[in-house]
Amino acid sequence: MKELLKQKEISILAIILLIGAVLSFVSPVFLTVGNFLDIIEGNVVLGILAIGMTLIIITSDIDVSVAAVTTAVAVSIGYLFTYLPDSWISVLLLFLIAPVIGLVMGLVNGLLVSIIEIPAIVVTLGTLNIIAGIVLYITNGNYINSTSFPTSFMEFANYELLGIPILIYLLAIVAIGTWYILKHTLIGRSVLAIGGNTQSSVRVGIDYKKVKLFVFAYMGVLAGIAAIAQTAYTKAVDPNGMLGLELTVIAAVVLGGANIHGGRGSVHGTLLGVLLLAIMQNGMILARIDTYWQNVVTGAIIVIAVSYDHISYKRSQDKLAKIEVEA
Amino acid sequence: MSDYILQMKNISKTFPGVKALDNVELEVKKGEVHALIGENGAGKSTLIKILAGIHKPDPGAKFYFEGEEAKINKPIDATLKGVSIIYQDLSLFPNLSVAENIYIGQDSNKKPWKKINWKNIKKTAERALEELEVDIDPNTTVERLSIAQQQLVEIARALAFEAKLIVMDEPTSALSSSEVEKLYKVVDKLSSRGISIIFISHKLKELFRVSDRFTVLRDGKYVGSYQTEEIDEAKLINLMVGRDVSYEKNEKEVETGEIIFQVSNFSKQGNFKDISFSLKKGEVLGITGLVGSGRTELAQAIFGVNKPDSGELKIYGNYVQIRSSADAVKKGVAYIPEARQTQGLVLEQSIINNISLPILNRMRNKLKLIDRKSEVQLAEQYIKSLDVRPALPDLPASKLSGGNQQKVVIGKWLSAQPKILIIDEPTNGIDIGAKTEIHKLLRRLANDGIGVIMISSELPEILAVSDRVLVMRHGRISGELGIKEATQEKIMSYALNSGKKDDSSDVLHESNQVSQGV
Repeated sequence: MKELLKQKEISILAIILLIGAVLSFVSPVFLTVGNFLDIIEGNVVLGILAIGMTLIIITSDIDVSVAAVTTAVAVSIGYLFTYLPDSWISVLLLFLIAPVIGLVMGLVNGLLVSIIEIPAIVVTLGTLNIIAGIVLYITNGNYINSTSFPTSFMEFANYELLGIPILIYLLAIVAIGTWYILKHTLIGRSVLAIGGNTQSSVRVGIDYKKVKLFVFAYMGVLAGIAAIAQTAYTKAVDPNGMLGLELTVIAAVVLGGANIHGGRGSVHGTLLGVLLLAIMQNGMILARIDTYWQNVVTGAIIVIAVSYDHISYKRSQDKLAKIEVEA
Repeated sequence: MSDYILQMKNISKTFPGVKALDNVELEVKKGEVHALIGENGAGKSTLIKILAGIHKPDPGAKFYFEGEEAKINKPIDATLKGVSIIYQDLSLFPNLSVAENIYIGQDSNKKPWKKINWKNIKKTAERALEELEVDIDPNTTVERLSIAQQQLVEIARALAFEAKLIVMDEPTSALSSSEVEKLYKVVDKLSSRGISIIFISHKLKELFRVSDRFTVLRDGKYVGSYQTEEIDEAKLINLMVGRDVSYEKNEKEVETGEIIFQVSNFSKQGNFKDISFSLKKGEVLGITGLVGSGRTELAQAIFGVNKPDSGELKIYGNYVQIRSSADAVKKGVAYIPEARQTQGLVLEQSIINNISLPILNRMRNKLKLIDRKSEVQLAEQYIKSLDVRPALPDLPASKLSGGNQQKVVIGKWLSAQPKILIIDEPTNGIDIGAKTEIHKLLRRLANDGIGVIMISSELPEILAVSDRVLVMRHGRISGELGIKEATQEKIMSYALNSGKKDDSSDVLHESNQVSQGV
């Protein structure tokens, strides 16, 4: 039990419960199943992307191109709709094509980071601009709305199973799949290992370049899936709709207890981080607080969380005496 | 079948500009504890990294495992031959559990999507820990363990790999004396089970305690392999330091003036204790000791980056308090760190910009902007007086040779007109010719009235440059020698033991007492 309480995830859960308790007093709507399903469905895209980002942050890298990649895939989906016949097979096909498009872009990031060894922030800032530029060139910034969507896709988007929207199942599948990879496969353990100590991983024979390539490629695949979710949720393709989303994604991961220095992070933690951001957003809307404040509060929480992490890291380092001085 | 678990022959390693190993050999018998001995920079770590497959040796190197020739190109090759290496800084994953740390690497040949068998991981770990008879919970994360426990986890990993040869690189450097005793017992147990061990250390009593045989390296060359019982401490020190190439010893009696710098009772928890010494005008004070004896920490404390818990400083007879490195510069203390390239220079910037860096605020014109003309003038002055080659002020520092980079670093600090110059390993990684130049330069600075404190692991360098030598050991000053009486052997015995030298059994006895007293 003590071990459990020490975990960061527990403190995030406590904060969520606290905010939830406050909000249920402020607004009677907050504590309803409908509101909860709305909150989750509205944050499926954030959740899927944050899960992918978790792996990258565990390896102590970062990917700021996620929103651009997702947008690019979403735009591709919009164009595909004009070529694909209107049937459920097309929807299935979409789940094949969209991840592959994302994968290609993820691989570009991954190759530059792992093989040429350019810092990930530089690589992904570059690809962010390249991709965003191309998207604007192709679309002219124009938005594709649902009138040109095939009905099969609209049916998929509105489908509910046991009263729960399909997109929530999609998030659950991604979450469980990634948890399985992280916990039960060799590559997943390697992700944690290189994040814990890259030098040690070289010494025990882990090919850290492959692992880095994997996390960026996987991020690409999830961006492809997130693009489908985004298109289904907004029932439109907006080339500017996800501007700046990468920062919220990174925020959710860091809030979820992942360490920016690498080595620590979990799928369930990240989901709690997403939930915390989502509830704050929802709460502020219900409490009719100006939405601009949301950014301020989110930013402040991130800075506090990361500072706390870093200070406790430094303290633990200081405790290690360097030399055994003779008495 | 061969008697030897490992034979390495014709091992040479050339790094850009430095020959780290020159035709070295190492032979380890089955089940023996083989000590690998040498001063700092003798090539022990390089040799081990070659064995580990991390460094590639120069062509011509040969490896034999149990008499059969083998190739070692990458870490996994060594692992498959039954070699496990426990590095001084350990190769653990602090964020993973003990069990995972023990098991990790066993699957590295398998497909990345392979499902992990957690039961098997736990079982392997438990078995290895049991074999070592240690009580560590395999489910805790490694970051919660003490260094001694972490080391045991590494040894357990080696056992789980069914290692036939375990290399321990200075395993006792971070352990308390009771933990050291436990480690010896583990080593004894492993060797009684037929596992060979290469034990790297520079603590002499330790080698006499654990090893059956040992190999000595000196300046990257093979000196010889000996049975431990054949040799005594005095002979061993001689093997370690007896050099063929050396600089001329500084024999000149210099005229020293007033005391310009005085350190009294400097102490810092876990770094050094009760350090007092003084420096006279015109004198070069050499500070030596093994890596980890607290030399660098002391220098950084004087310079204000590693604040001491207690102690006082006097410059020209006045008490001063140094609060930060900027404060130190203001009060006339300059410190040139060991890592010249990372801490001493802005590599991509020109020689001019590097030299003027510490005194940019004095380079400003009336408009408070930096005056380029005086910057260039300053740089040219130092390029000339220090003989930096090529003498191109606009050249980026990265384009200079190691020796000339060091001259620029020295020039940079001289521009701040220090009263006291502390220089850490001044000729580390510099070729021989340039070393002598730097040595002459340091002497000249002392003659010009700057107090020079030179920290160095290279004994010939200490003897060539210093007027007085302080030897540190375990965070304390263990000896002080005037240059006339100083020899490599005397310095080494102060660095290794707490003082007495002639009778080796006496020294051993004494150091045993010391360690028991801790």
